Formats: sequence, structure tokens, C-alpha cells
Amino acid sequence: MKIKILDHQDKIKKTLDVSSIKEAAEKLNINLEETVILKNGELTTEDTKLKENDRIRFITTSSGG
Amino acid sequence: MCKNCKLKPVIKLPNSNISLCKTCFLRYFERKVRKTVRQYKLFKKGQHVGVAVSGGKDSLTTLKVLNKIIKPQRTTKLTAISINEGIKPYRNKTIAHAEKFCKENDIELKIFSFEEAYKKTLDKILKKKKDTIPCSICGVLRRYLLNKKAQELKLDVLATGHNLDDEAQTILMNQFRNNVAASARLGPITGIKNNKKFVRRIKPLYFLTEKEIMTYAILNKISVEHSRCPYSKEAFRDEVRATLNNLNKKYPSTKFSIINSFIEMLPLLKKNYKKSKINYCNNCEEPCSQETCQTCKILEGIK
Repeated sequence: MKIKILDHQDKIKKTLDVSSIKEAAEKLNINLEETVILKNGELTTEDTKLKENDRIRFITTSSGG
Repeated sequence: MCKNCKLKPVIKLPNSNISLCKTCFLRYFERKVRKTVRQYKLFKKGQHVGVAVSGGKDSLTTLKVLNKIIKPQRTTKLTAISINEGIKPYRNKTIAHAEKFCKENDIELKIFSFEEAYKKTLDKILKKKKDTIPCSICGVLRRYLLNKKAQELKLDVLATGHNLDDEAQTILMNQFRNNVAASARLGPITGIKNNKKFVRRIKPLYFLTEKEIMTYAILNKISVEHSRCPYSKEAFRDEVRATLNNLNKKYPSTKFSIINSFIEMLPLLKKNYKKSKINYCNNCEEPCSQETCQTCKILEGIK
């Protein structure tokens, strides 16, 4: 199914055809160990089920300074 | 589903297969901080606790949880301290976040600046010292000023937002650099005991990961949208961080094992590297390891 990946300003960065968060993270080369996931604006886990047109945002947890 | 109440989960805890909902996660997080405070005796009732606040998610989360712990204890005092190094426009934005947060949570915030203390901003200092690593200069000057102001404010301890990821990275970096002596100065509580010239540092988030802190911050509407410091070029740390997170993906307890084994070794390290005598800078009289402290050396070099 197609999901929308959002950037840090919640704008659509790209659309992916995937069946899970883990698959999306792998396609984007994102390590879920250092990432928090928002699905349609709410915190969720990598095990969440996806629906067509879900909006996913990955936020990296590392900070600097 | 949440392991406890079957509600929608907000996090799958690192190092386990357990998912927690918002309420259960917040309870878990705050209990973990309370346990660290209790187990490592980070501070006692009646003391004056400072929190070094940059305005980022780690320091504001530290402040949020400590405020929750300390507020009901009427005799314990909490003060936030921010250092404005003079990094435009980055630091002005993060300090504005700290000011807003402290105002909303009714916490006293004291702001000190490099410009006021050293008569120069970091931006100006780095223009003069182009051949140096910015973080090494900034770190020395910031720690010095924090310690000095913590003494003036009569703080008993100063809390920082250091977390499990930071500590695991630093332990490995010290190993790779063959600098075990530096690791002897790590742990949930650091610094010289019973020394009026040194305010001990405490790390209440020591056993919590960046991912857990980010989740707590988002749930508490603490801003997590900061850009990195423009001078932050910690290539080595970034590489160690990525390596550790990749290892943790394959072997989920890697970071926790580093911390747990380190905690076991720490008393031996501290014993082995214990200094018999503390030096004081011949210029400013602050504690240091040589005759003149690093801060005075840096300031002399930019005159």
C-alpha cells in the first residue's frame, strides 16, 4: 500500500509502496534504534499496522550541542 | 498493544519487546529517574539542585522530571542555569525555548554568558582561533562557567541531560583513545566530593536512551525541533553513535551491556585513578589538573 513520508515540517517528502514501518525504514536507510515514529501525527511503534495514505514521520533522536 | 493496559502503544522499549501506552510509559520513565536518584544518591531532601539547561530535549526533560520530583519536597530547591556562549542565531533560539519552558513551569532560570564572563562571545573567540576544534574550546569554557556560577548560587549538585547513549559512546571513545582515566570520571554522579570549589555533576537520565527521552519530550510537548549547533562537527562521536545503534539493531542489549558492565567496573576505575591531591589554578584558583587551568590558558591565547 502507498504511504506518505513527511519531512520535519510535516510536508510530504515522498510516497512509498510498503507493507510495514520496518520496510519503509529499510527503504529509507533509517535505523529504528535511533528513531521515533509518528503515524498521522501520533507516536507509534514499528509494529503498527499501516493503511493506505497513512502519513509517517521519522524523527531521529540524536542531538548535537 | 500496551503490555499493561492494552491501549495504543507510543513506544516499543529498547532492549525488550515491551510496548507501552502514553500513561504507562510516562510512569515507567519517571520511576526510572526516581530510582537513579535514589540508588546513586544524586541529591538529598533540603539540598539546592541546579539543572544545566541548553533548551534542547535532554536538558528540558531532565528539568521537567526533576521539577516533578522536587516540587512536593518543600525544602529542596531547584534552579535552572543556561549558558549563552554567543553562537548566533542557534543559542538565542534554544535559550528562548528554555525561558518559555521555565516560565510555564514556574522554575527559576539564571542565564549567564561568555560575553559577560570572558568579554567575548564564542563566535568572536573562534574567529581568532581558526585552527582549533570549536567543541574543545566551548566545552572547557562552558564547564568552567557552569561550575563557577553553581558555586556562586550555592548549588549542592548540578544536573545535566546526559543519557545512556551519550555515556555508552563516551566509554567506547575513551577505550578507542586509550584514555581509561577519563572514564574514571564518568558515571551517574561525578566530581570531587566535599570540595567547595567543585559542584558535583549528576545525570538523572543515565539509564534512559535517546529514544525514550525523545518520546517523553514529545508527549510533554517539549520542543524537539532544534537544528544542530553550527560548530558541532563531532565526526568521531557520530561514527561511534552509528556503530552502536547498528550493533544494537542486531544485538538489542549492546548499549545496555556497555553501561551495566561499566557500572560494575567503575568503583575499581575510580580507586585506581584517584588523585591524592587536587590542584588549584595559579591564576584563578579554580580546581584543575595542572598548574594553570585550561580556561585561563584559552583566555590567555585569545587576548
